[in-house]
Amino acid sequence: MNPIKLIHIDPMLHNAVRLKIMVALDSLESANFMYLCEITDAARGNVSIQLKTLQEAGYIEISRSGSGPIAQTVCRITQLGIKALHEYEKELHKLFSKEVSDEETNLSVAG
Amino acid sequence: MNGAYNTKLELDMISRTRAQVVGRKELTGDNLFLIWGYPTAFVLFLEFATLMLWNKDWCEWLWVGIPLVGAPLMIHFLRKDYHRTGHRTLEANIALQMWIFIGFISCLGGFTLGFTGIFPLCYCTFQGLLISIGCFVTGVILRFRPKIYCGVIGAVLSFAPLFFQGDLWPWQVFVTSIVSVVSLIIPGHLFKQYVKHYNEL
Repeated sequence: MNPIKLIHIDPMLHNAVRLKIMVALDSLESANFMYLCEITDAARGNVSIQLKTLQEAGYIEISRSGSGPIAQTVCRITQLGIKALHEYEKELHKLFSKEVSDEETNLSVAG
Repeated sequence: MNGAYNTKLELDMISRTRAQVVGRKELTGDNLFLIWGYPTAFVLFLEFATLMLWNKDWCEWLWVGIPLVGAPLMIHFLRKDYHRTGHRTLEANIALQMWIFIGFISCLGGFTLGFTGIFPLCYCTFQGLLISIGCFVTGVILRFRPKIYCGVIGAVLSFAPLFFQGDLWPWQVFVTSIVSVVSLIIPGHLFKQYVKHYNEL
């Protein structure tokens, strides 16, 4: 395996919770904080930190709507986020096919 | 072996999350058609009755009543829906933007009728077509066939007011109220049943 290839993997998305948040938001127009907690199956504190990280990277937009008991944090994916997620998926597919072919070569050499 | 295994796990996680989100997509907005349908049918029927009884210019102002009743109700129910499900789908957002546009045009038309006191010959046909096309497009976006059929029937019925001219013109309003029943109330009830069934699965 060539380690130089790993440079293309976006570190921002190389985290299970962040990746799940991005995939969920990619399939929806918007989602609130509680929904993202359910989808990621992670603690609220963790989701909150990951949302902030993604917002700082410009991958998502966070807005607050309403006030009092009906107040909610609404998240939307940005164009930059969509592009990053699709590139990340493409890189994973490339990496996977390369790793499989490398392993097949190794097995045939060993055999 | 580990490298390929980890990459495969990550790709699986992406597919699983995507499937989970799609599978959890609760259909919302089931009340929207009814929120707009009942005030439209009621106001138009009221206008028809007042036109038949008095036939005064102020009757035209009743058109404004439709968005005045429908818009606040729509905003209230949409907020409630969003709070309950926690998400909004892309399809629902497109349909919503379209209905906001239709509501805005209807509101503008109502004010114009009220201020000018002139009732254009094609106004009822235009309103009926607007509602029916909205119903048809929503059906296409949400892949709900009854809305598509009701939209087509409503669009055909929208041309019926053109046959009522001269002294019979108040009947144009009555026919438009029937169009609102066909294009909003009937598909609204059918969609409500469908949503109930879909969300129970």
